[in-house]
Amino acid sequence: MDKLLEIHDLHASVGGKEILKGIDLEINPGEVHAVMGPNGAGKSTLSAVLTGRPDYEVTSGSILYKGRDLLAMAPEERSWAGIFLSFQYPVEIPGVTITAFMKAAINARRKADGLPELKAGEFLKLQKEKMAFVKMKSEFAKREVNVGFSGGEKKRNEIFQMAMLEPALSILDETDSGLDVDALKIVADGVNALRRPDTSAIIITHYHKLLEYVQPQVVHVLKEGRIVCTGGREIIEAIEKGGFDQF
Amino acid sequence: MPMEKIVLGAGERLEKRFVILPGESQDILLDVTLAGEGADFSLKGLYLCSGADKVNIDISVHHLVGGCTSRQTVKGLASGEARVSFGGLIVVAQDAQKTEAYQENHNILLSEKADIQTRPQLEIYADDVKCSHGATIGRLNDDELFYMRSRGIPEADARALQMLSFLSPVMDESRREEIEAAIFNML
Repeated sequence: MDKLLEIHDLHASVGGKEILKGIDLEINPGEVHAVMGPNGAGKSTLSAVLTGRPDYEVTSGSILYKGRDLLAMAPEERSWAGIFLSFQYPVEIPGVTITAFMKAAINARRKADGLPELKAGEFLKLQKEKMAFVKMKSEFAKREVNVGFSGGEKKRNEIFQMAMLEPALSILDETDSGLDVDALKIVADGVNALRRPDTSAIIITHYHKLLEYVQPQVVHVLKEGRIVCTGGREIIEAIEKGGFDQF
Repeated sequence: MPMEKIVLGAGERLEKRFVILPGESQDILLDVTLAGEGADFSLKGLYLCSGADKVNIDISVHHLVGGCTSRQTVKGLASGEARVSFGGLIVVAQDAQKTEAYQENHNILLSEKADIQTRPQLEIYADDVKCSHGATIGRLNDDELFYMRSRGIPEADARALQMLSFLSPVMDESRREEIEAAIFNML
């Protein structure tokens, strides 16, 4: 089977400080991987590097996504190729409505795929359907992106965007942080409903709750910029009992 | 361009707009007097400056009598080596009680060499008024830009979307197409 993602000996720095110190990670189509680790381990740096965030410098190593050199691709090209990041801190964009934002995103993807733009009516129908799918009230279509949203509404908006863009590889960066149990359940239901046999996900978290709802096949422990342990779900239980010091 | 003087009498209303596009270096010199009770003045201005454009805006609003309203919102972008100067003065006379006067001037700098000066001034001699002014000079927000690109919106489109959202409070809908085209050219 062709790998979806192959990370080899990845080193990355922010502001001259090395955060990732040699990451190796492979993900097959259809797999859900959890990356767990204490604060400062490099979890968010990994998601930043995978999505091409400026200011994060890859100093050595490689990432292949569907066999392509991911590091040579701009953030928008990575999105077109099916990578999606659910942000730990979703960004507010005053003056831009969710409708305008998603329409620009969907049509840019279609253009990259050589398809014509969606007609306004087609787009609105799709948007309405996906909003209902993540139980987001339709009024949100006219709201400015994330402006004045509660923590739970912001995360739900991330999952709505994920539903719209139907990624092949979803990266959920601390999507569970700051959510109460009800909001967490809605987000998890959305993520589960979007799973397909050929789509994969990386769930970044230091908290086991989300992993009860969205079950990973592979669990990695990231510590001080390295993956120090890889295994199955038994690792989640070990962390719950003994924390990260045992690794 | 000479100073344009406007006097509004009791109950008179005036809505003024201006749009300055790249390559149209202009002076907007405006002196507005609200001289009769209930007069109402509003101004929406937008400038897009690039290259070696020079735009000079100077607006004075005098509230001589009570119960009048003035609202000014002026926003713009400067790229290249453009120079923008904005001066805004609101004077509320001692007898002009129940005045409402607002003035906003917000700017985005798109290059290192562009220069924007903004000087809002309020002189209030009455004691029962609602007045405010605000002026900012900023840059496009990098976090917003990355968020949009991560959703597949190409960098140029994302920047244009940011600029259009910034300008939306002063957008002249009748000229939207040429304003949008000018923004894409400034990228």
